[in-house]
Amino acid sequence: MSLASKRYEVEDILAAQEFYHSRKWTDGLPVVPPTSDAVQACLDWAMLPAEHLIGIEPVRERVITAEKLAINAVMAGCLPMHFPLVVATVTAMLQEPFLVHGATASTGGCAVFVVINGPVRQEVGMSGSFNALGSSDRATTVIGRTVRLVLCNLLDVRPGEIDRSTLGHPGKLSYCIAEDEEDCPWQSLSENRGIPRDASAVTVMAAGAPRQLMNEWTTKPEEILDTFCAEIKANLRHYSIYPGNYAIVIPPQLRQHFKDAGWSRRDIQEYVFENARILRREWADVGKGNVVGGRGDQEYPALPDPEHLLVIAAGGPAGGFGAVIPPWLGHKSKAVTVAVGACLDCEPTAD
Amino acid sequence: MSLEILDPTHEGDSGSFALASRLSVLEGTTVGIISNGKKNTIPFFDSFEDELKTTYGVAEVVRTIKSNYSAPADAHLVEEAENWDAVVAGIGD
Repeated sequence: MSLASKRYEVEDILAAQEFYHSRKWTDGLPVVPPTSDAVQACLDWAMLPAEHLIGIEPVRERVITAEKLAINAVMAGCLPMHFPLVVATVTAMLQEPFLVHGATASTGGCAVFVVINGPVRQEVGMSGSFNALGSSDRATTVIGRTVRLVLCNLLDVRPGEIDRSTLGHPGKLSYCIAEDEEDCPWQSLSENRGIPRDASAVTVMAAGAPRQLMNEWTTKPEEILDTFCAEIKANLRHYSIYPGNYAIVIPPQLRQHFKDAGWSRRDIQEYVFENARILRREWADVGKGNVVGGRGDQEYPALPDPEHLLVIAAGGPAGGFGAVIPPWLGHKSKAVTVAVGACLDCEPTAD
Repeated sequence: MSLEILDPTHEGDSGSFALASRLSVLEGTTVGIISNGKKNTIPFFDSFEDELKTTYGVAEVVRTIKSNYSAPADAHLVEEAENWDAVVAGIGD
């Protein structure tokens, strides 16, 4: 074995739980004991040496290796076949535009929202259908959980330490979904963000809790999106006025209406870009009059441009429920998409 | 049967750094404040500046603001800080 991590001996699996909990190395839920065999199996599946550099957290210069990532993945419940997705997720989080330190240290209390695209979803048994935002399947649940353990154990993002969240939200336990590409009239999210359709990919976004909405009383795309825009505008008023990435989750029942009307993903993005915006003076309606100042007529769009809207197909077959997933804090953190198996920092081979 | 398990943490492998040397007196010094720039920090650091000057005899307080309050200080601010005797990391909310 070439694993370099410190080893501990415990009596049994129950003792392992107390060992990790007592050191604040968990999220409070039971963990799978990371034995050398289990960790090595993850590395073997992904064909990564233990010392492989996944990335460096740019603010605190914290090095993250494949071995340490695999240990946390095993603890979260990952099988070896999930590990390449964990690698892609953390690779994306470590890209500078994501600003992982600021996002995870902030009092704003966001979580890392992870969206999986491509053939890998079906290979590992992911579902973008029933209960899409509530731990719909094993793979998305454990991959999302790994993010939390990685933040705790490799970046010290524990409550009261680096994590200064005032409230946080339940997505911090696990906030990962697969897109329902099979039942989607548009190109996939990752394809929309520049990844070839037959490649698998991961998109990460520093995100607040999902805001659920419902509109079962129209078939017109504009009216359906007006409900989404109203929810986005509520977020602009109640939370943060700054534009950034927003995600909207559209279930099959509502997607059918877009399909019937011939609306593309781009049409949706442009409609929301044009309509999800408020005037600064609206802050006075919600108790924030003190910060309106002399700029009451200044307009604030939710999106800097249409591309900042992540349109995601997911949800069970029945119900006109959708969700708006707001950004942590405007454009300070950018959503990042990475292809599974890609090595962003690798040098091209010489021909 | 016992179980051998692995350490999931970074095991303290972060880059080493040294604390800046401390000043023995504040009187006559130049103190810089790199504020995160949030709105409520302004009156707070106004009072702090006043306290530094009136109570501790600080000669000059240089007030600067980061361009992104969630990111590290801009390179030009770090460079400017080399001209000061002490720096205050101005985190406020």
